[in-house]
Amino acid sequence: MIRAAFASTAITAGFCLFVLLVVLVPVALLYPEPGEVLSRFLLGPFEKTRYMGNIVELATPSMLTALAVVLMFRCGAFNLGVEGSFFLGGLTTAAMVLWMPLPPLVGIPLALLAGAIVGSLVCGIPGILKATTGASELVSSLMLNYAAVFIGLFVLNYYLRDPTAAMLSSDRFPAEYRFESLIPRTRIHIGSIVAVVACIIGAIYLNRTSQGLEVRISGTGNDFSRHLGLNSVALNIRIQVIGGMIAAFAGGIEMLGLYSRFTWQNTTGNGWTGVIVAIIARDNPILIIPAALFIGYLQVGGDLVSRAFGVPTEIVSLIQALVMICVTSVAIFQHPALRKFVQGNRGEAAQ
Amino acid sequence: MMDLAASLLSPEFFAAILRVSTPIILVAMGVLISERAGVVNIGAEGMMLSGAFCGVVFSAYTGSATVGLVAAIVAGMVGGLFMSFAVHVLRANLFLSGIALNLAASAGTILALFALTGEKGISGTLDSEVLPSVHIPWVQDLPVLGTILSGHHILTYVAFLSVPAVAIFMMRTPTGLRMRAVGENPEAAKATGLSVIRLQLQAFLLCGVFAGAGGAFLSMGYVSWFSQNMTAGRGFIALAAEVMGAGGAYGTLAASLLLGSVDVLAIALAGEGLPSELLQAAPYVVTVLALALYGLRQTKQKTIGTVH
Repeated sequence: MIRAAFASTAITAGFCLFVLLVVLVPVALLYPEPGEVLSRFLLGPFEKTRYMGNIVELATPSMLTALAVVLMFRCGAFNLGVEGSFFLGGLTTAAMVLWMPLPPLVGIPLALLAGAIVGSLVCGIPGILKATTGASELVSSLMLNYAAVFIGLFVLNYYLRDPTAAMLSSDRFPAEYRFESLIPRTRIHIGSIVAVVACIIGAIYLNRTSQGLEVRISGTGNDFSRHLGLNSVALNIRIQVIGGMIAAFAGGIEMLGLYSRFTWQNTTGNGWTGVIVAIIARDNPILIIPAALFIGYLQVGGDLVSRAFGVPTEIVSLIQALVMICVTSVAIFQHPALRKFVQGNRGEAAQ
Repeated sequence: MMDLAASLLSPEFFAAILRVSTPIILVAMGVLISERAGVVNIGAEGMMLSGAFCGVVFSAYTGSATVGLVAAIVAGMVGGLFMSFAVHVLRANLFLSGIALNLAASAGTILALFALTGEKGISGTLDSEVLPSVHIPWVQDLPVLGTILSGHHILTYVAFLSVPAVAIFMMRTPTGLRMRAVGENPEAAKATGLSVIRLQLQAFLLCGVFAGAGGAFLSMGYVSWFSQNMTAGRGFIALAAEVMGAGGAYGTLAASLLLGSVDVLAIALAGEGLPSELLQAAPYVVTVLALALYGLRQTKQKTIGTVH
C-alpha cells in the first residue's frame, strides 16, 4: 500500500513535468533561442536565493487555500469560495491593522482573526444555504466571489482609501505590524512556517481524529454516513466555515507578509491556485506542501522567462489548466496497465 | 427621486433590460441543454470568452461581421469538444474540467491577443466589426413598444427566438428526449441502446454554439472590442439562471430577465450617487438569494410530495 502511494505520487509528479514540457517546448521554439528559454524557465528559479525565496513566498498562500479546498472537497462540498474568502480576509486584516491602535503582539492575532471570521462568510454562506435550502454551493460560492470583491472595493474606496496615493490603495500599515523576513535576501516570512504547520495539522485532523474520519465518511456519500447516525449537514457547514476561515487567514497573512498597504483591485487568483494545488495533491494535506512548491516554481519560472524574453506569463495558467485535467483523469490514472505497474504483482487483489 | 422613477418606467429602461439580458439568455440556453443531458457545463464562461475573442479577431481580419460570428460559434464548439474530450475520453472530473477550460480560455485569449497585437488588456488596435441592429418595420413606429422592442442587436432577437426553439428541441424532438433520458439516468438510457457519450458530446457542442454567440454579442455589439476576462462571470450567472429556471427554457428566460434587470437597475441607481461598488455587487447577491429562495421552495415541495 505504501508502495502504491509512493508510485502514484511519483506518476502524478511525472505527469506534471510531462505537461509542463508539452506546453513549454513549443512556446520556446517560437523564440530565437529556445534552449535559453527552456533553461531559464526550468533552472532559473534555482539560480538565486531570491528566486527560491519567491517560490516559497508564492507557495505560502496557496498551501493554505489548498488546505481549505481539500477539507471542503473531502467533506463532499464543492465550494469554490476560497478566492473571495482570501480577498475579504486580506481586506479585513488590513482594515483592522489600520483602525486598531493596539500593540502588535495583540493587534496582529486579532486582525488575522477578524479577517478569518469576515472572510469565512464567502465559503460559509454557501455551505449554510446548501444545508438549509439545497441551493448549489458551487454556484452560490462563485457568485459570492464576485460580490466579495465589489463589497471589498466599496470599503476600500469609502473607508480605507489614502487620498494622497496615486492609485486606489489604503494607508500604509504601521511598520511594526508587518512580518519580518526570516531569511536574508528573501521575503520569506513567518506565514510560510504557519502554512506548513497548518498542512500537517490538517493531515492529522483528517486522518487521525474521529471528526476527520466523519468528514471523510460524509464526503464519500451521505447515505452511508446517515446510516451511521452522523450529522453530515452540521459537519458540512462546519467544514465550509473552517475552510473559509483558513483561506481568509491566508489572505491576512499575505497582506501582512508581503504588502505595505492594501492594493488589491480584484481577486488575486490565490484561491484558484489553491484549487489546482489541492487537485495535484490529490486531496492529501501533506502532499499540498510539494504541490504548492511546484506551482510556485512554475510561477517563478514563468516570471523569469517573461522578464528575460517577453514570454507572456499566461503560459503558466495554460500549464496549470492542463495539469488539472490530466491529474483528475480517471482514464489515465485508473488505466489497467498503470494500476498493475503501481500495485506490483501482489497488489492486484487488494485493488 | 422623481427622475429616477421616471427613468425606471421609461421605454429605454426596458430596452436596456433586453440588451443586458441577451448574453445571459443565450448562454443559459446552452447551459440548459448541457445540464439536461447530465453534463453541467461550468466551462460556459470560458466558451463565452473564447467566442468573444474569436469574434473580434476574425471580423477584424476578414472585415466581415458574419465571419466573426461564425468564428465565435466555432470557438464555443471547440470549447465543447475540449469538455467532451476531458470528460469522456480522459474521464476527468466534470466540474474541474470546466474550471480548467475557464482558466485555459482566460489565459489563452490573453496570450493570443498578445501574439496578435502586442497588447494584453484590450483589442483596441484591432479594427473589428460589429453585428447589425435590426429595426422591425411597423413595430418601430409604435409609440412605446417601438423603443422597447425595435432597434436591438440582431443577437438579442436570436436570443429570444432561441427560447421557444430550445423548449421545442428539448421537449418535442427525439434528440431532445434522448438527451433528457441520458441526463436523467445514463445507465437506463444506455440499456435502451442510446449512446451516452455521443448525446453528451452533442449537448456540449450545442452549449458551445450558444455560449460562443453570447460571447460574440458582448464583443461585437454590447461593446466593439475584446478586453481580458470581459465576460466577468456572466457564464456563471447563466448557470444560476438555469438552476432558477428549473431546467425549463421559459423559466430560464424569466430568471435571466430578472438577473438582467437587477444589473440595469444597479446601473440606473449608480447615476443617483449611490456607491457604484455596492450596486455592482447587487446582481451577484440577488442571484444567491434567488437560488436560496428557489431551493427552499423545491425542498418544501419535496417534503409535501413524499411520505416518510
